[in-house]
Amino acid sequence: MNIAGIGIVSARGRGINSLDIALREGWIAPSQIKPRNDQNAFYPAYIVGKETINDINLLKKIRRADRFSKMAVLAAWDAVVDSGIQINDKESTIGIILATAFGPHVTTFRFLDDIIDYGDGSVSPTTFSHSVHNAATSYISKVLNCRGPTLTLTQFTSPIHQALILAQAWLEEERCKYVLTGCVDECGNVMDYICNQKLRIADDGKIRPFNFSASPSAVPGEGSVFFMTTLEKCRNKYCVIIPAPMTNCDTIKKSDIYIIEADGMAGDETSYQDTLPVDVPIGGYAPIFGSIKIISAFHCAAGALMIKKQIKYVCPVQENPYDLNIITKTELSKIEQICCIRKNCANETNIIRLMR
Amino acid sequence: MKIFITGIGGISAAGRNITEHLESFQLMKRNAGTVSLFDTSLSYPVFEVKSPLINKQINKQKNEMRTLSLAMFALKEALHDAGLQKNLSGIKTGVCFGTSVASQLNDIDFYRTYRNTGAADMASVDRFLKGNLAEAVAKSIKANGPSVTVVNACSSGADAIGVALSWLRNGVCDIAIAGGADELNRIPLCGFGALGILSKSLCRPFDKDRSGLNLGEGAGVLILETEKSASLRGKKSALLLAGYGAAGDAYHLTAPRPDGSGLESALRKSFADANITPQDVCFVNAHGTATHDNDKVEGIVLEKVFGSEIKFLSTKGYTGHTLGAAGGLEAAFTASALRECWIPASAGFVQQDDDIPIKPITEQTQINGSFAVSTSLAFGGNNASIVIARVLDHLKIGHDLVKEWGS
Repeated sequence: MNIAGIGIVSARGRGINSLDIALREGWIAPSQIKPRNDQNAFYPAYIVGKETINDINLLKKIRRADRFSKMAVLAAWDAVVDSGIQINDKESTIGIILATAFGPHVTTFRFLDDIIDYGDGSVSPTTFSHSVHNAATSYISKVLNCRGPTLTLTQFTSPIHQALILAQAWLEEERCKYVLTGCVDECGNVMDYICNQKLRIADDGKIRPFNFSASPSAVPGEGSVFFMTTLEKCRNKYCVIIPAPMTNCDTIKKSDIYIIEADGMAGDETSYQDTLPVDVPIGGYAPIFGSIKIISAFHCAAGALMIKKQIKYVCPVQENPYDLNIITKTELSKIEQICCIRKNCANETNIIRLMR
Repeated sequence: MKIFITGIGGISAAGRNITEHLESFQLMKRNAGTVSLFDTSLSYPVFEVKSPLINKQINKQKNEMRTLSLAMFALKEALHDAGLQKNLSGIKTGVCFGTSVASQLNDIDFYRTYRNTGAADMASVDRFLKGNLAEAVAKSIKANGPSVTVVNACSSGADAIGVALSWLRNGVCDIAIAGGADELNRIPLCGFGALGILSKSLCRPFDKDRSGLNLGEGAGVLILETEKSASLRGKKSALLLAGYGAAGDAYHLTAPRPDGSGLESALRKSFADANITPQDVCFVNAHGTATHDNDKVEGIVLEKVFGSEIKFLSTKGYTGHTLGAAGGLEAAFTASALRECWIPASAGFVQQDDDIPIKPITEQTQINGSFAVSTSLAFGGNNASIVIARVLDHLKIGHDLVKEWGS
């Protein structure tokens, strides 16, 4: 299927141009977050700025929406605008698939605050309705007036991968002409605390994608990415995107560039070592976005932009102990095919192929 | 491509398996009571799975989420019904489950401790991280295909079945385990209470004096299989998943679109998907929550689409509203009813609402048809419709088994 448009909200801004700028600029230090009950400690995290999601014109229709939903709505909206496709969805031609690992947990914890502070019978119905995972999808469909199928899914291993497989199936079945396929996840006090307990947080704020460590360092991140996908010919096509089924074998076809998705979030990264040939340029852009279960979507967006612009972007963190052929400068390049590779601690491989 | 339903499993307050559910339906047993699973100041009746035998098995895995235990319980029945082993590593199997509660990290004790001290034990987090419903089920049966947990609120189970249908038709897997599971939990009890849609008495779907829903818990599972897969292992089934349709309201976070056009669109898409007309449908297992808005919109749409003579019911009078499990359980009941050729009375209904042009069936009714529909509506404006078919000549498993619809 084709990627006809991309929308992105990340710590580095909103929109496809912000992605291009971030990829050219490379690494910058993350924000420092204060934990709830310890004013002396700080956690590094890549947080989406308030100004990034401050779009009054668009969000006035959904004033009550929480941050989770707003990030998703903005990315979805931008993907549609970027595609140039006119939305007139009386015929339900657009479907929506949103993937998330943890859902709107900040709102869920706010609802728990209500229960703890005020009791079971005095909680906010508005907070409750926003704590439901599919609130974001509902807002997207409302803002875009999409009357096609809408689906929210949650998955920890490969959420965007699963969303893309389903989008492809919907298009093949002609359930819709376009599928807005995307993902969103957010940071928050509790999740930051959990990340600090479960992951090895990079004190210097740097994710090192090519260290292939058994206990890699992570920096929590957040954001949203949406792709307008379709089988139709499209004006602003980025590339073809093909999500391959998960595999245990390393039968990865040769590409012009490999994007390594190591971000410190999926545990032991040593198995990446066995996957990569030395002669192919390798990118890894997690240090720009942060560690996040939906990192594959950010990498697909980066890869799609590389193919469209025929540019390979410099790796933001270039520690390279295995002497791989990592991309060391941003330059024009003939790119026909990119392979995004994500491995989990069970040595299962998820591959998304991007083709010109 | 024909997709067979080769196994069915279900657990709720109405029964530990499909047979017990059918007995409860025949006897019009409504096993509601007060909440025993957690402390709450709220006194709404609920449909809890209270069987000591079941709870012993469910609680055996202390580090397992209750929702997952319920799903595994129903899955065991469905796999047995399908003649499948618990290890499916040799078959390309996908797992798609709907849920609501199990998707959230909502452990109040964990959060209270964190809030008070800035630190908390990670046990409940570990349970959550290991408990993504579809991934955990897939791991337990060594399924090697896709796994997705659908979180479309109250239509999650139905939408999960729709996802599985798409996978099978597109060759993503050969067998799909699909349905929904949800546990009774304090968070939705408080939330639905705050929304003012819980009834203080037993729920009365489509009744003039309906006053809201009762929460329930459970799991409903279908084993779905391509014709080739079923044929290869000699599995015979008279039931097929014939179609699925879904449509968004694009209207409101909690209220259905008043004109019901989202539900109507989902129904018509499911008919097109199954290549049938509304006249081919012999009954509808409606969403029927017993809330004022849902039942009004749904009743009006059913009359508009099917006409005034359509036989329909809600099984939520027997199970309560099991949220993410509802679509899975109700698909299981719909398939079972088609197989058994009868549908139960719509429990709780007494008097027709002037605003709803049709009324549900009030006594056990024989049916004699090939297609039935199960509808689901949800928070966020999700509408889903599933078409299940019964083929009359199912003894000839093979290429010419299924007559084309309408011929």
